[in-house]
Amino acid sequence: MLRLFLSLVLAVSFFGSFSAKAETELWGDYSGVTLRVKLIGGGQYEGLYNEVIPWWEENTGGKIEIVTQKNHFELDKEIKKDIASGNLDFCVASNHTSFASQYGNIYTDLNNIMPASVLADYTPLILEHSTVDGRLVQMPRHSDVSNLYYQKSLYEDADNKANFKAKYGYDLTPPETWDQVKDQAIFFSNPPDFYGTQYVGKEEAIAGRFYELVIANGGALFDEDYRPIFNSAAGVEALQWFIDLYNAKAVPDGVLNYLWDDTGLGFASGTIAMNLDWAGWAGFFNDPENSKVAGDIGLVRAPMGSGGLRTGWSGSHSFSMTESCPDKEAAASFLWALTSNKAQMIEARGGLSPTRPAIWDAIIAEKKAEGDEFMLMVFETFKMSLAEDAFTPPLIPEWIEFTNVLYPELQAAILGDKSPEDALATASKKATEIMEDAGYF
Amino acid sequence: MRKFLNGPWVLLMPTLIILTCVVLLPLLLSLWTSFTPFKLTKPDTLYRFVGFRNYERLIGDIDFWIAFGRTVLFLAIALNLELVFGLGIALLINKITYGQRTLRTLMMFPMMFSPILVGFQWKYIFNDNIGLMNNFLREFGVIQPIPWLVDGILANTSIMAAEIWSSTSVFAILLLAGLLGIPKDPIEAAKVDGCNSWQVFKNITLPFLMPFVFIAMTIRSLDVARAYDIVQMMTGGGPAKRTELLWTLISRTGYVDAKMGMANAMSYISIFLSIAFTFFFFYKLVEARQRLSYE
Repeated sequence: MLRLFLSLVLAVSFFGSFSAKAETELWGDYSGVTLRVKLIGGGQYEGLYNEVIPWWEENTGGKIEIVTQKNHFELDKEIKKDIASGNLDFCVASNHTSFASQYGNIYTDLNNIMPASVLADYTPLILEHSTVDGRLVQMPRHSDVSNLYYQKSLYEDADNKANFKAKYGYDLTPPETWDQVKDQAIFFSNPPDFYGTQYVGKEEAIAGRFYELVIANGGALFDEDYRPIFNSAAGVEALQWFIDLYNAKAVPDGVLNYLWDDTGLGFASGTIAMNLDWAGWAGFFNDPENSKVAGDIGLVRAPMGSGGLRTGWSGSHSFSMTESCPDKEAAASFLWALTSNKAQMIEARGGLSPTRPAIWDAIIAEKKAEGDEFMLMVFETFKMSLAEDAFTPPLIPEWIEFTNVLYPELQAAILGDKSPEDALATASKKATEIMEDAGYF
Repeated sequence: MRKFLNGPWVLLMPTLIILTCVVLLPLLLSLWTSFTPFKLTKPDTLYRFVGFRNYERLIGDIDFWIAFGRTVLFLAIALNLELVFGLGIALLINKITYGQRTLRTLMMFPMMFSPILVGFQWKYIFNDNIGLMNNFLREFGVIQPIPWLVDGILANTSIMAAEIWSSTSVFAILLLAGLLGIPKDPIEAAKVDGCNSWQVFKNITLPFLMPFVFIAMTIRSLDVARAYDIVQMMTGGGPAKRTELLWTLISRTGYVDAKMGMANAMSYISIFLSIAFTFFFFYKLVEARQRLSYE
């Protein structure tokens, strides 16, 4: 019934000098409608709103009122408070596949709202990851996975090649495994002026990095009943990797206080040889105004663990519509606009990975035509990585709470306060309590 | 009824209603939630009574008690150092005859910064890689960067430095007000009798100041939880819980893990800490006043 109100137009969208494949558009006349929205803020994210909101308002006659614009962790707290107070007086909010399952049923099942022809424009696997308990609660904005950036000149230096081969017995080439990353990071390090690599060291960030390394080593965080099983050989091996780099001073001393900005800015400062990071940093790294390594950056797919799998902790930023929204048709139209071909092309030009296959083709074609070899390499690498290596964290409401008991134990082991086995045993015990309380077993 | 309407209760009613709505009801609600498994994301859990389960879990939770002990230590050291520095600043400014107003204004500058901003700026100062402190030390030959915000003792000291910088002026202002109120006659009489400066300070100035000291201590011990933002910005309670204070633990439990019932149980236990500090300082305040009136 609702779909009858939606204005569906099958059209070819043109943006810039390229066209993507036919897209189902979702316009309508929403004069007099004002949608209250809560959005993720920050320089990387706000450019989209500046373009899409006026575009949507102009085409529909509706208005967008931004109630909140803050970083995702603050937004998460605010929405939890909204749920507790029952004050869900907004229609659209930023979301993330790792966060979505926490919010219960406050968000609408978009399977009942979005026409199938609209959903067909998105990558099916990403829509699957956007689904909680069989309900599609978010429209994916862009996807994230990490790959390994490195300073090319270090690998081209003849002395480095000879010295590395003499010391480690194999050729110095961009690493294929995490053991090679460790060797090379130790080899390149010259603290405190230069470090082989770095990692995010706290909160969900390090928990996520540990998680993907456990998977790459052939392990898992939980069994089928969600009993913790990361206190295993694969888990200890993963944690030992962090410890070895820290003890060898191949990462900065303050790394355990680092989050994403610290690692991104660190690599751009030219003092880090290799950096596992998201696609969104690529443009920044190669911009001479921001980065000392601009023009000297190589990129390879995230290396493999001992289990023969590549790391690929992945997730998607997204937008959701509240169940309490009084103007669901207008909100659906706005969700579509925020994740449309036009919107995704804007973000892709900044280096973010689209969630629509058509935009992958369009952005790669555009970069080819521009002769932008660096961004072409970035998109081709991330496209392959998202297709072949990416996996989400367990999409359960307890994920963030679980990471909060895991990361202090990882830090304790890295700092030498505990052995890896003790740290993982403690984390496993606490994780078991969380899962028991949540009723998994 | 007529008697009630004409009595003092009518005049007290507006105050009682406001206090009930603003203070009593939220306190009772949060107390109730501490006996439930209330999760922010599951509002229905507000109505599930689990008795003392949250409190029982906390009693056996070593991480909570370590954070509790660290908070007591943090309060004791920070408040005493703020008192010493604040007293020193107040005594120096009290001696100045020219430009005292300007200095008083300058002294209040740190109070004008929000705790979040203070946290950011001190995080930058103590950053191991690009921070001012390590770069400054490097000029003097300290090549190896000092992990200010990683090492347990250094990280707690760094946080304390930020907190002391931010709040010493509160003590200084209150104690300066006390100093300005001290009568000059006993001081001049003591000097005529041959007392040196230390004897004057110890036997006359300090006893007069003690009520102000305890008032300042009481205010600061209740207000010090504002330092949460500083700790959150600088270390977030880490690494490896080395700087975990009750405030960071409660905030993470309540708002990130969404376990508001448990967070409120933690808060109610920590309220005893505040009550103990307040009771102690009020006791000392009354004692100091009594001693002053005897003398």
